[in-house]
Amino acid sequence: MSAATGPVTDKIDPFSKKQSVKKPKQKRSQASSRYKAKGGTELVPLPQLKDAPPAEQHELFIKKLQQCSVVFDFMDSVSDLKGKEIKRASLNELVDYITAGRGVLTEQVYPEVVKMIASNIFRTLPPSENTEFDPEEDDPTLEASWPHLQIVYEFFLRFLESPDFQPSIAKKYIDQKFVLQLLELFDSEDPRERDFLKTVLHRIYGKFLGLRAFIRKQINHIFLKFIYETEHFNGVGELLEILGSIINGFALPLKAEHKQFLIKVLIPLHKAKSLSLYHAQLAYCVVQFLEKDATLTEPVVRGLLKFWPKTCSQKEVMFLGEIEEILDVIEPSQFVRIQEPLFKQISKCVSSPHFQVAERALYFWNNEYVMSLIEENSNVIMPIMFPNLYRISKEHWNQTIVALVYNVLKTFMEMNSKLFDELTANYKAERQKERKKEKEREELWKKLDGLEINATVNNKEVKSVPPTSTNTPVAGGSPAVGTRYAPYSPTAHRLMAK
Amino acid sequence: MAASDSDDSLYPIAVLIDELRNEDVQLRLNSIKKLSTIALALGVERTRSELIPFLTDTIYDEDEVLLALAEQLGNFTPLVGGQEHVHCLLPPLESLATVEETVVRDKAVESLRKIAADHSTADLEAHFVPLVKRLASGDWFTSRTSACGLFSVPYPRVSSQVKAELRTHFRNLCGDDTPMVRRAAAGKMGEFAKVLELEYLKSDLIPLWTNLASDEQDSVRLLAVEACVSIASILPREDLESLVMPTLKNAAEDKSWRVRYMVADKFTELQVAVGPEITKSDLAPAFQGLLKDCEAEVRAAAANKVKEFCENLPADVRETTIMTNILPCVKWSFFLQELVTDANQHVKSALASVIMGLSPILGKDNTVEHLLPLFLIMLKDECPEVRLNIISNLDCVNRVIGITQLSQSLLPAIVELAEDTKWRVRLAIIEYMPLLAGQLGQDFFDEKLNNLCMAWLVDHVYAIREAATNNLKKLVEKFGSEWATSKIVPKVVAMAQDPNYLHRMTTLFCVNVLAEVCGVEVTVSVFLPVVLKLASDAVPNVRFNVAKTLQKIGGLFDAETVNSQLKPCLDKLKTDQDFDVKYYASEAILVLTEAA
Repeated sequence: MSAATGPVTDKIDPFSKKQSVKKPKQKRSQASSRYKAKGGTELVPLPQLKDAPPAEQHELFIKKLQQCSVVFDFMDSVSDLKGKEIKRASLNELVDYITAGRGVLTEQVYPEVVKMIASNIFRTLPPSENTEFDPEEDDPTLEASWPHLQIVYEFFLRFLESPDFQPSIAKKYIDQKFVLQLLELFDSEDPRERDFLKTVLHRIYGKFLGLRAFIRKQINHIFLKFIYETEHFNGVGELLEILGSIINGFALPLKAEHKQFLIKVLIPLHKAKSLSLYHAQLAYCVVQFLEKDATLTEPVVRGLLKFWPKTCSQKEVMFLGEIEEILDVIEPSQFVRIQEPLFKQISKCVSSPHFQVAERALYFWNNEYVMSLIEENSNVIMPIMFPNLYRISKEHWNQTIVALVYNVLKTFMEMNSKLFDELTANYKAERQKERKKEKEREELWKKLDGLEINATVNNKEVKSVPPTSTNTPVAGGSPAVGTRYAPYSPTAHRLMAK
Repeated sequence: MAASDSDDSLYPIAVLIDELRNEDVQLRLNSIKKLSTIALALGVERTRSELIPFLTDTIYDEDEVLLALAEQLGNFTPLVGGQEHVHCLLPPLESLATVEETVVRDKAVESLRKIAADHSTADLEAHFVPLVKRLASGDWFTSRTSACGLFSVPYPRVSSQVKAELRTHFRNLCGDDTPMVRRAAAGKMGEFAKVLELEYLKSDLIPLWTNLASDEQDSVRLLAVEACVSIASILPREDLESLVMPTLKNAAEDKSWRVRYMVADKFTELQVAVGPEITKSDLAPAFQGLLKDCEAEVRAAAANKVKEFCENLPADVRETTIMTNILPCVKWSFFLQELVTDANQHVKSALASVIMGLSPILGKDNTVEHLLPLFLIMLKDECPEVRLNIISNLDCVNRVIGITQLSQSLLPAIVELAEDTKWRVRLAIIEYMPLLAGQLGQDFFDEKLNNLCMAWLVDHVYAIREAATNNLKKLVEKFGSEWATSKIVPKVVAMAQDPNYLHRMTTLFCVNVLAEVCGVEVTVSVFLPVVLKLASDAVPNVRFNVAKTLQKIGGLFDAETVNSQLKPCLDKLKTDQDFDVKYYASEAILVLTEAA
């Protein structure tokens, strides 16, 4: 027996060994998806710029720019090492040359510079290696050609920031099409590249007045595509960062275009599931808007309430953080307008079974300004908050939350003890009323369902009878219905009148 | 809410509307989902005069609620009084078609398309088309996006003047400033092409399509590829060459991999649409290009289509095209070969899932000469999915070249895979065993494969052990009870003494399936003593499986054996300490008594 099973037992798990021989995880990097076949051109080293006589420097500069337009394959790390090294050295020289040299940016240089930059940085971004890439968990895939790309970006920035730089000449080459391609690069998975792009775009926005509206519009499109179509774009945070400073500079009164951007783009951006990656920048933009124009508070808060996360607690905590930032700058007159819907939501958060959500909401009561607003409007807010607070003070699983809730209840008691006593006294009665209402609802729907069943039966019997007449068989039996649902009617009328 | 009409109406609308207004989203949602019930309660007249206007005026809610509303309204025609009144549903749906959230808008458009069919021609022109025009010239992109999906439905039914207007609006949308709208237009272009008159298709739509296919945004261009399938299938063959092919060829070489991917993904549809001639002249080379693309995504999509593409080739040119265009590859030069050893596992696994399908097309000789070597390479691939895809399609090769040839060439690889690290691969091999055994014959099997089959019985994955026991049954069915007694039964019985209780249980599982095929004699003389002995096993799982086994095989024995051997054993198990053992023992007793 043992002889028979001997070799077999070895085979029970022959895999653990094999698995441990698994290849070490390769460092992930990727090349751009360049379609055009590359290579062919061999780079010949040129003399150094600093060694050339001044008269020849200009021509050599252009030659070097052209040389640096050649693109190499970095996925093959051993191919064409010589060429890569020549280009790297030239790029470094170029950076030094336009940083130190004065008067080197002549008109003929502009097209060559832009061409060199474009041929290096503009490329179709490759498909993401990891389709379920989670920017918070996974390491980003880095750009393989970074050793060259970095110096090109460096050069681009020095070019834009050079005291000699003339936007009036450059705008012939740095045009809408150029900017569009630049914006597409913001989807790069490599954070180093996005960081450069951010600074570059910011400079372009600052120097090319004619491109500003266009840039804003294209960013709009990127965001809308991200929100409603793909939910994927790596550079949302960087673009928001630029926008933050753009919004800061908006003139008052705000143009309709900008307000629309806030309500129709920035607020829906809260919906995406990757919100955590750019929430800080987004909240900053929103608050910037509110500081400029307080009347935007109501639509903003209502918008946030509309997109309030239903299941994602992490996002809910972020929303609460943003609400507090908004409350920090809110004007009392605006607060009154949103307090009801807002505190209904906060009341739900306070009673969230997720303690971080409950805790974050309860921290509002540590904010002096928020407290003063609540105190001023305690007549409205206390009745909204009280039932949930009272309930969870008895039944929340987390002791920290219970302690915080007691504190809040205490502040309410101090704020308006008369109202507090009333609310406590009515608590039970209110609950009963609610239950009764619930029961009535159920009955109503039961009746309606019965009606539907009757209707289908009737319809089967007499096809031609219009649906109205299907009411009659049931209608005969209950003349009192109209009065039985009387408690509903006042609210309904009020809502109808709105 | 006038009191007077409480006679003919059971429920005051205010009550119902109050339900639609409930503070709790979930309750609102429930109410909306029962909107038809509410409408029924109100009757057609009041649904038209009160409910629909209310819904139109108060659309501001959670997207979830709006989505349900948009869906409901699509089925509302009978509830508002049928055909002649259906247009009263347009206003609320129009508002819903302009909201931000895509799913809501799409649903609203879907419902609009649905109720468009319920409109009379006159109403279509009087109410529906103006709505399309309003949406098409809306301020915010959402309404224009929605409009794109509303052209193809009314178009065939309206007058030529209105048709011309619709075409103009569609043209504007194709040139819209916002990429979102252009994308929507490109996406709906195919269905619009289908209802367009041929002359307008050529004069109006093709230029628009060509523009979209060269849009600055790749997301627009790739949708134009999709539209290409419909357009190409409508156009007469003689126009294809000049109107469609240049654009399509560009798309296959687009600088964005997304566009090329789309071409690869739609390749066989495009192939059918353009017909055999153009396939031969233009598409085959393009396909070659996609199989060699620099992006793995594109190669994988193309590899997936290899079989279908070859199948679709007209019979007369099929073999030559495959041999010259697709398989210069196999001629040890390029791509299938290259793909077989691709760096990207998705490419390989896509290819592995279809490559076997080539052998019926190519016939026996070509398969042996060109495909078998590739199969062998892929069977040894480091990625389990690739191996699995090959193995699970072995039978279609088998049909072409016969088992002898297959086993000679593939057997070593198969034996190796029998010990694959991935259990799904092992499972696929096991399932292939009975077929292989039958074809190879008993001697060959005993020599090469018997040990493998026994080894699977003690695999560490249950699914494999289970499959292995079933496999044994099939083998015994093939080779007979005598073979079983000499080759299988001793090993199965020996496992009953294994220190690992899982293996002891495997003995029981084997008995479950083997008892019948081995016959009563073997079962009584060999299996039964082993099973009865296991009744006193230390592990409860083994003991209750004894009860289950006895229940299962009990029917094979005569009454005497049952009463003298099975019953006492089960009675003992019935007094076991373990709850489950007791349960199964009493269940077995019950079944055996009933049978007797």
